[in-house]
Amino acid sequence: MITEPIGAAVRRGGGVARVTGDQQFIADIRLDRMLHVKLVHIDCGHARIVSIDTSAAQAARGVVGVFTAADLPSPMPRFGPVYSDRPILAIGATKYHGQPVGAVVAETKEAAEAAAELIRVEHEVLPGVYSIEAALDPKSPLVQEPDLRPDDPRRDTNVLNELHFGWGDVDHAKADIVVDNVYEFPMVTHFAIEPHAFIAAPEDDGVVVWTPTQNPFQMQRIIAQVLGLPVAKVRVRAPDPGGAFGGKQHPKYEPLVALLALRTGRPVRLLLTLEETFQEVRRTSCRIRARTGFQSDGTISFQDIESDFLMGAYADIAERVIAKSNYLACGPYRVPAARVVVRALFSHTTPSTAFRGFGTPQVSWAHESQLDDAAWRSGIDRVEIRLRNLARKGEPFVPGDTPADGDWAESVRKAADAIGWGTPLAKGRGRGLAVAVKASATTGASYSIVRLHWDGSATVLAGTSDMGQGARTVLAQVAAHELGIPVEWVSVVMGDTAAVPFDLQTSASRSTVFMGQAVADACHDIKAQLEQMASELGLEAGVSLVEVLRARFGEVRGEVIGVGSKRSEHLADHPLGGAPSFYEFSCSASEVEVDEGTGDILLVRHVTVADVGKALNPQHVAMQDEGAAVMGLGHTLMEHIVLDDAGRIRNLGALDYRIPTTKDLPLEMHSMTVENADGPGPYGSKGAGEGGLMATAPAVASAVTEATGVVIRDLPLTPERVWTEIQRSRGKDGPTS
Amino acid sequence: MVPFAFARPATLSETFAVLDEHGDEASLLAGGTDLVIELRNRSRRPKVVIDLKRVAELRPGISERGGWLTITATTAMTDVQENALVQMWFPALVDAAATVGSVQIRNRATLAGNMCHASPAADTAPPLLVYGAVVNVASARGARRVKLDEFLVGPRQTVLQRGEVVTSIDLPIATERRAATFVRITRRRGVDLATVSLCCLVDASGSTRFAYGAVGPRPFLVADETGALSDPSADDESKSTVLRALLEQASPISDVRGSREYREAMLLVMSRRALLSSIERLGAA
Amino acid sequence: MRIHVTVNGSEHDVETEANMTLLDFLRDGLRLTGTKECCAVGECGACTVLVDGRAVNSCLMLTAESDGGEVTTIEGLAAGGKLSVLQDAFLASGAVQCGFCIPGQVVAAHHLLARNPHPTLDEVKEGLSGNLCRCGGYMQICAAVVAAGRANR
Repeated sequence: MITEPIGAAVRRGGGVARVTGDQQFIADIRLDRMLHVKLVHIDCGHARIVSIDTSAAQAARGVVGVFTAADLPSPMPRFGPVYSDRPILAIGATKYHGQPVGAVVAETKEAAEAAAELIRVEHEVLPGVYSIEAALDPKSPLVQEPDLRPDDPRRDTNVLNELHFGWGDVDHAKADIVVDNVYEFPMVTHFAIEPHAFIAAPEDDGVVVWTPTQNPFQMQRIIAQVLGLPVAKVRVRAPDPGGAFGGKQHPKYEPLVALLALRTGRPVRLLLTLEETFQEVRRTSCRIRARTGFQSDGTISFQDIESDFLMGAYADIAERVIAKSNYLACGPYRVPAARVVVRALFSHTTPSTAFRGFGTPQVSWAHESQLDDAAWRSGIDRVEIRLRNLARKGEPFVPGDTPADGDWAESVRKAADAIGWGTPLAKGRGRGLAVAVKASATTGASYSIVRLHWDGSATVLAGTSDMGQGARTVLAQVAAHELGIPVEWVSVVMGDTAAVPFDLQTSASRSTVFMGQAVADACHDIKAQLEQMASELGLEAGVSLVEVLRARFGEVRGEVIGVGSKRSEHLADHPLGGAPSFYEFSCSASEVEVDEGTGDILLVRHVTVADVGKALNPQHVAMQDEGAAVMGLGHTLMEHIVLDDAGRIRNLGALDYRIPTTKDLPLEMHSMTVENADGPGPYGSKGAGEGGLMATAPAVASAVTEATGVVIRDLPLTPERVWTEIQRSRGKDGPTS
Repeated sequence: MVPFAFARPATLSETFAVLDEHGDEASLLAGGTDLVIELRNRSRRPKVVIDLKRVAELRPGISERGGWLTITATTAMTDVQENALVQMWFPALVDAAATVGSVQIRNRATLAGNMCHASPAADTAPPLLVYGAVVNVASARGARRVKLDEFLVGPRQTVLQRGEVVTSIDLPIATERRAATFVRITRRRGVDLATVSLCCLVDASGSTRFAYGAVGPRPFLVADETGALSDPSADDESKSTVLRALLEQASPISDVRGSREYREAMLLVMSRRALLSSIERLGAA
Repeated sequence: MRIHVTVNGSEHDVETEANMTLLDFLRDGLRLTGTKECCAVGECGACTVLVDGRAVNSCLMLTAESDGGEVTTIEGLAAGGKLSVLQDAFLASGAVQCGFCIPGQVVAAHHLLARNPHPTLDEVKEGLSGNLCRCGGYMQICAAVVAAGRANR
């Protein structure tokens, strides 16, 4: 009797190696004759490079080569997931703190470090764009060279794009209550525990690059582009990343190490320090002004939103983050009239990139806090006002697009019950509840090959990256279920472009839905082949899979190869290039106790509810959702990158950039799911894993408001900020009074 | 890390010999939890690192003699925390030691190292100051005893002269009833550097001592001998007036951990809380 | 300099540079890569090993300091290739996500259980607060250690 794997807490694929230390991350790989790279930085944001003296480093013991822009191809190759704007090394100027101006290649890591110190970079610190105000100020320097976008009328500004979304007539919408507020969301960094690491080596007449990427096939394409090689001559090997969260989605130093490997003819390795990793990736910060109209019963009559999102020095994927999140800037609500204007701004800071939630935590911070403001003003219960406005299942909440695909009110009721909404509160305490919705993958393609071996076991080939979310486990569960074999008989091979078929990327919680369907499809292909074999061999109906294989393959043996795919094509006339294949809906609720003397927030209880359609592995869903909540508590309570006047990150590294520890957990935490099998993925599943952090900040902030009467619209809610706001409001009427 | 030689003297006199030879180019290593960071980021580039953990006279130990409790230079925070005598006589030191980094850090970091590193935010400094700690310093020229309040000079600065080593820290064992409270403000509940830390000690004679960390170039000690603070019947406002006067020595700055304004406000808030707690503890003792 | 150190029960008599951390010695010298490097300032706990029975951050120790001592790494915890009760509890509780912090977590938890065989949840939170997990799997990690403590009874 085979245990049904779908819906079971199947243990993590690759789990044993993770608890024994056998799991190989990039930094654990050692190749023969491997060289070591150390990057050379200068200690400021925007600076003109006057000269670089590498002579002492070149002469240092163990040094194989020193590379600066002058040693790289001219014109300097540029790359990026959308715009090819990022140079392999800084040319002429640095545009953010930590942008490398050179790379030392040496026989040992110590020699590379010592030589990097000998490089003299004469530079002139230039005024920089380090804030939204500066980015919008026409007197500020330009971050991007205008000739990189010669046909763009905005080329002489720091605005990459201004996006407009909306419907209905905002200007004539009638409202009894209008709330008009400004919200800020700071820069925060991914802080994957595995710092970014890269290895490249010449292979035949091409190159092989090891990188912990979420996106091996995009990496392959971009490296091939930079090196002028056919895709088949670039092999990307992507061992399971040690945490990624979007930060390992797009190329950073892979083109550089690939080039260095070809130049030196030897394997080269670059391990970034945690500090250097902080300088490479961050969430897009923003300021959102939201003017929201309500009828007296709490029904939303319009949303008028204007925002500025501060990207870094290169576009990376930030414009897409901004577009996708602001497309749903009004949240999961029925909004008769909406106007959303959002600018994507360049700055002399770390290039912002994909980060779990992909902009949703930023926009939900505003739309949820707006609902609370209206609720406080009108005396309507904060849960009630949400239930009144939530789009019902099947209702299009962005006109013309994918309608609401879940019973979202059910999630809200579940969270409200779990947090004890409406029950008496102890002194100094408050509760808050918030929701958020994320547009999932729009376009995309996932291919899978499933090999059913002669003994009835199977190998799944999938281009998905397992960065902790457990795709390896879930894909094995799907294959086991479809083939009717024990999950222990399934191996999943990932992370090698030479071994697995194409997958667009591991992002947007898309893998269970897209790759899950591709794997199921490949299994169906196998089953069709088996049926054909059985009938050709004259076997009775209902004969077991192993018997068919034995009868067909005999002593010569063989295997059945199934091919599956799932594609969603580009739609040119859709604002996002394609309709969301599902929505990731999440509700968070929190109870806090605030120490008014110090501003300290104690999390008494925190709950999350994820509408996942069907939890293929409930334990994995819980660990992802609770993990996301812990990460969300980080940006809610303590995380922010602090810059000085020269664009330097002042809290670089683990000592002063704080993330939650075990002791920062809420006293109680629960994650729950809503499962109505209404998703497009296998067995009615939807994507999961980002939801838990999407509505954390507004839920906690709302609880703080109830506890103290103080409304805070900037993050994080540090003790100091809470205390300061309490001081400021003292003597004034708080919203709860 | 730049290359350096590694010395492992077996005795104090061997230690002095190495120190005298290398002077400022030598770095002393006890637990290493601060030193190794500085070596790695190359902010410290010694010619020789002298490991004190094999010096016979400095072996880990906590012992009582003649009204003093002596904690040797290589005694780790964990051992300070877990020592029954420290727990009995200097409970606020136990509380402070428990906030120094993580378990892993406390298993290596030493109490003496925490003082020699002389961080303005050193967590164990406030309790050591209110308890009247004395630092035992030795060199080839002899030994001297320095009050901790005089030992700490400024950020990363102590009175230690060329050739000198801290051998132990002495704490006077009180004969009278007293109670102390250690509190701190941090940015998160888990392992963190203090934004403000302080220790308040009241004794049966009515004297009240406060020591503060992270609010000036060095941890500092102030006292109220009038009895105004420890008087359970005195009103809050009069106590606050006295506290404000005591806190004039504080000169907090704004940095990534907190602003000057917040630190100043927290000094008063936390001082009041610690005072109240110490008075209560004294009453219960 | 020459040192003699026992790692996971094997004795090593080796020449080491004074400026090499124990972490680098384990990873680069002995190829015991289960011990991870992340923050390099003693904040994250990914490099946790036992030295003479005590959990320490190997990034903050010089190799020379381990001379004459006994070091246990994650590779030394699964005796004879069999997972320990603690390691199994990590898997059963769903405590393992990306896995990069897990060796450090397991070693720190092993140390905690050695000193306190049946810890409460709060004691586990205290004992593991020096081990960061950015996947945020603390609920499950703490539950695993409490469960392993119960299984030890």
